[in-house]
Amino acid sequence: MTTLHAVAGYLPGFKAEDLQWQTLRFQGRGATLDVAVPELSPAQWVVLAERVKQGSRAYLKTLTVSQIIAVVDRAVARLLDPKDPYRQEAERLLPLVTGYDAEMVRLGLTAYLKTFRQPQLQRFVSEDFANPKVLDEFQPRPKGGFAKAFGPDLLVHIWAGNVPGLPLWSLISGLLVKSGSVGKLPGAEPLFAGWFARLLVEVDPQLADCLAVGWWKGGDQSREQALFAQADLVLAYGGNASLEPIRRQVPITTRFLAYGHKLSFGMISRAALDSRKAQTTAHQAAYDVMRYDQQGCYSPHVFYVERGGKVSPRDFSQYLAHELVSFEHKFPRRVLPLEEAASVASWHQAQELKLFTLSGAALMGEAGTPWRVAYADGPQPLAPSALNRTIQVIAVDRLDQVIPEIARHRAFLQTVGLAAAPAELFALAEQLGQAGVTRISAVGAMTAPEAGWHHDGRFNLLDLIQMVEIEQSAELAAETFAPYVD
Amino acid sequence: MNAPDTATDLSPQALIADIVDDLLAFMAREGASDEAFNPLALRLFSHQFQHNPAFQRFCRQRGKTPRTVKTWRDIPAVPISAFKALTLSCQPPSSTDRVFMTSGTTQGDVKGKHYHPTLAVYDYSMRANFSRRFMQGSDKISMGILFPTEEVMPNSSLAHYLALAVQTFGAAGSRYFLSQQGLDTPQLCAVLAQAEQTGEPYALLGATYSFVHLMDALRQQGRTFVLPPGSKVLDTGGFKGQSREIPVADFYAQLSSMLGIPTSQCINMYGMTELSTQFYDAGNATLPSVKSGPHWIKSRLVNPMTDEEVAHGEHGVLVHCDLANFNSVTSILTEDVGVAVEGGFLLLGRAEGAQAKGCSLAVEEFLRAAKA
Repeated sequence: MTTLHAVAGYLPGFKAEDLQWQTLRFQGRGATLDVAVPELSPAQWVVLAERVKQGSRAYLKTLTVSQIIAVVDRAVARLLDPKDPYRQEAERLLPLVTGYDAEMVRLGLTAYLKTFRQPQLQRFVSEDFANPKVLDEFQPRPKGGFAKAFGPDLLVHIWAGNVPGLPLWSLISGLLVKSGSVGKLPGAEPLFAGWFARLLVEVDPQLADCLAVGWWKGGDQSREQALFAQADLVLAYGGNASLEPIRRQVPITTRFLAYGHKLSFGMISRAALDSRKAQTTAHQAAYDVMRYDQQGCYSPHVFYVERGGKVSPRDFSQYLAHELVSFEHKFPRRVLPLEEAASVASWHQAQELKLFTLSGAALMGEAGTPWRVAYADGPQPLAPSALNRTIQVIAVDRLDQVIPEIARHRAFLQTVGLAAAPAELFALAEQLGQAGVTRISAVGAMTAPEAGWHHDGRFNLLDLIQMVEIEQSAELAAETFAPYVD
Repeated sequence: MNAPDTATDLSPQALIADIVDDLLAFMAREGASDEAFNPLALRLFSHQFQHNPAFQRFCRQRGKTPRTVKTWRDIPAVPISAFKALTLSCQPPSSTDRVFMTSGTTQGDVKGKHYHPTLAVYDYSMRANFSRRFMQGSDKISMGILFPTEEVMPNSSLAHYLALAVQTFGAAGSRYFLSQQGLDTPQLCAVLAQAEQTGEPYALLGATYSFVHLMDALRQQGRTFVLPPGSKVLDTGGFKGQSREIPVADFYAQLSSMLGIPTSQCINMYGMTELSTQFYDAGNATLPSVKSGPHWIKSRLVNPMTDEEVAHGEHGVLVHCDLANFNSVTSILTEDVGVAVEGGFLLLGRAEGAQAKGCSLAVEEFLRAAKA
């Protein structure tokens, strides 16, 4: 077995020998990868934070949004180029780090990166700002006076998870509002954020001191306190159990944005269940299950399937199982470490026990198959699946009957993949929105949010900035002090 | 060996008595071989398959019947969560002598139930094994118990286990130091000081977390003891969120330095409500310690996804086949990760709490939120 080596992070102003290094080991298909991650002392984080603040003030804040978009576009173009060394490195190492199938990573990266090209980024900005120039200069307001949107001096990102490229969202958001950024790499995928930072600096060397990416072991209070004290805003991803202690380290005067773990599901109306469409719908549903082995916040845990179509919910669950089998040939599920295998097994056992007590229940997939479909013949309490291609199919008489049950878990809801006719789409959207769902996509598109989507229903950019207003009174008063005043 | 019970005309009571007799005889035969274990395991499987409808359905779901099960390794292992969802008993639960229940820290408040029509087998198993692994040749020792009595916790298998220890092996003056009022530290200190003076060996037994509470209390008072040679400690069960968590090495080092008992005399018992037999190590001087059980229990390490045994030396989830579980199910799939070593297995922790890899909600977090 070969052992590969990679170095993570991007830390301007520090030499490798100034830093402590830790090794994170990843064991993938047929190879071992040792990733060296840099660990700064609390004092070094403070120095770095100061450098990034000054650097972004001196350069990033002087750029227009259009110029920033152009730089990001050039960096993303390189990541989309199969011949680019960064792209090749990503294709080579990310499957090892995450365990995901290489082809799935390759296709996923391309689809994802495409949402960060120039036109998409322009759309991204205009989603939040009717007049994007408000990020560049004071703009007249309809009510009178002027206003400008200022990004933070220092935005601290705490990334989590192994879905490749995830840190790009907040990193690019930070750039677009001209904020200096310091990020903490996720232990589960510590490479991508550092690559992107280095690539940006290659594309525009003057960005060198405007961002930095490092690592510490989660829960290290002295480092967190040191860095958070320098931040204007701390943005963190992760489960509630890890967000909670992070929040406690954030000073009360510093804003904290948390993106917790989410639960998404699909809904299949009887309109999508004639013999021709059901097959396609099942294929798309299986695609959403297969993508990143359900590790995304937008990945489905359950499909609610309506009775009364030509194809019954039970038959649909069999179609779905069949589609999962075919995807397994093309994009095999990653090999699960023992702990994850055990949690999949215990989910499977729980489903198995339900067969004894729940009439009409069925379980597809046997010991050893890398997917499972659990079918229930009637409404069930909402519960997460064990991920890793385990999915529940629940038969319902009407789709809207699940609303009260899902509404009980509103804090966790995110995406609903919906296959329904137009009138149903809008009627259900209203009810789902009220229940706490923030995104409704087509089945098959659950794992690919469109450019400019509002992550967890929030504003990606507006949440980061503060508005500075010149009120009309100041404008008028200034007139009285003008040199030309009579 | 009697013929499988499908072929007998015995009344249910006589049938049980017959099985129990054979079982006790087997347990009494020190060093019985694999060849002797297997037929008894298969006989119990056949009995449980026939008289335990829930278990039979479980086996059929797995495609296993007495026809296809050829060795104890083939007996389908029932996950411990099934003790919560199903009634796993050959005898009607109402006619059983005792029900042990899990402490119910997971899956809402549903408790796993283990029915014992008679405690004769459980008690024999406990005594024979305890005598060999903890008493190590001595008949009696003065005991202090850091756990509630059996009267306070009638459904706790550990309370019963400790009561048996005191009744059978406790010298005069053995007593409990834990009541509804909590740990009686002053009395315990007095007894420990007395043992120091008389030179009589003393044994402290209880839940792991109770020892943490004891050490916290002693530290607060600045007290330490040097108990006489032959004194020992038995802890079991881990911290279970009942006390702060201490790394195992620190736990035994502190225990040893506060009580003056060498870590080699600090013995950990690994048991569970769903079993009728316990595992022990031979002290905790070297960590992790090797756990092993008597000849009537055998363990395998499996890949939980495939139920297949892992290669020797690889991590797997523990499956135990306990012949003393004559009324419930002999083979259970635990949630404990271990690895096989010479003379037994190492316990590496629980398989729960697999950290979420991505940003999708994991079952654990969902359950925590639902409970809050």
